[in-house]
Amino acid sequence: MINYDFLTTSKLEKALNYLDKSAYVKVIAGGTDILVDIHNKSKRLPEISHLLDISHIATLNFIQQVDHHIEIGPLVTHSGLIHESLIKNNFPVLVEAANTIGSTQIRNRGTIGGNICNASPAADLLPPLIALKAELILTGKREERIIPLKTFLTAPYKTVIQPHELLSKIIIPILGDNYYTDFQKIGRRKALSISRLSLALVTKIDKKGIFLDTRVVPGSATPYPQSLPETEKAINGKSIFNINLEEIGKITSEEMVFITGERWSTPYKKPTIAVLTKRALKKIIEEAKTNE
Amino acid sequence: MNKIIVTFSVNGKEITLKVGPQERLLDTLREQLKLTGTKEGCSIGECGACTVILDGKAVSSCLILTGQIGGSEVFTIEGLEKDGKLDPLQQAFIDYNAVQCGFCTPGMLMSAKALLMHNSHPTREKIKTALDGNLCRCTGYEQIIEAIESVAK
Repeated sequence: MINYDFLTTSKLEKALNYLDKSAYVKVIAGGTDILVDIHNKSKRLPEISHLLDISHIATLNFIQQVDHHIEIGPLVTHSGLIHESLIKNNFPVLVEAANTIGSTQIRNRGTIGGNICNASPAADLLPPLIALKAELILTGKREERIIPLKTFLTAPYKTVIQPHELLSKIIIPILGDNYYTDFQKIGRRKALSISRLSLALVTKIDKKGIFLDTRVVPGSATPYPQSLPETEKAINGKSIFNINLEEIGKITSEEMVFITGERWSTPYKKPTIAVLTKRALKKIIEEAKTNE
Repeated sequence: MNKIIVTFSVNGKEITLKVGPQERLLDTLREQLKLTGTKEGCSIGECGACTVILDGKAVSSCLILTGQIGGSEVFTIEGLEKDGKLDPLQQAFIDYNAVQCGFCTPGMLMSAKALLMHNSHPTREKIKTALDGNLCRCTGYEQIIEAIESVAK
């Protein structure tokens, strides 16, 4: 049994005060990860003196457009993302990823902030959020800092967030014209589908059909979700009319193995990540051709 | 360990309870309130046996601490029957033989109820999505989906 005291507040300032007082306060919102860890007595759990419930802080639950960005509060649930038109219209790749998370019960409770801060290598929202160049605002009692999501993650289940900080906002720049996105995932049965492998792809296709500004981020493929610069470089500059998908798939596989080294899962993941890349590109190419 | 005083409503009745910091909504329902219709299966949010409706949404009561739900409305399987009359969903589960061992049934019914509260005419696909967090090892799901479809028509 893991023992802790329970704190709850509806005020952000109070939550920040609690976090400032002790390094052993662990934040809970939807609880869909941490309560499983507590039940399983996971070795990943840090020492906890208090569990701080932030699920009632209304000022952390919002989705809004500010100029050319969409801002999302960390308490927005996966269901909340799926049903919000600002997200559906601007970031369908995020909706696709949120739709594949767990089950209806988990999507109704789990939050985007929790998915980010838990930093699982299999977190479904991380690949699309990194591909969309999301930035995070981390708020402490005395200061606030902004950090790109791609530098927030440092290792499996590890981030740069300090014990006194709380993730208070996720900012995503709205993609300009001619951008295409796709999310691919292979899980087991859907309801408990912790991704076996996933991939988010964001790219721009210019009027001549040339790929630009491509971002490829796999999930469950590397110790923590990160982009694949060699694959992105290989896609950029190619034409949707004659890109060699086999060659791109091969580059993705090699790049993944370069990052992870040969592991027990490599014989499965190496060809499969190539398939996901090809599928995502194929879907985007078809969509671009119909838009011509 | 501290005790938390929390007020919320269960099946339309407001209650105030003292709960422990580790007490899950599932524990409170079954042990403090003796509402044992809600079942404990996997305890990690994968089987759906503990599904209840919290503020209009199907949730796993094994993944919520009772201390978190102050001011909320909880609706359990015991709240489905009204004045001695079964909810149409319950009757349909009987009529369509959608129950075998019965362990998953309360969770199935609450997931289905949550769906129908928001969408009274869901498609078969929507029904399947609403049940994607509920496991049944007996029926093969077909009768359950048919039972829900019969009420949704």
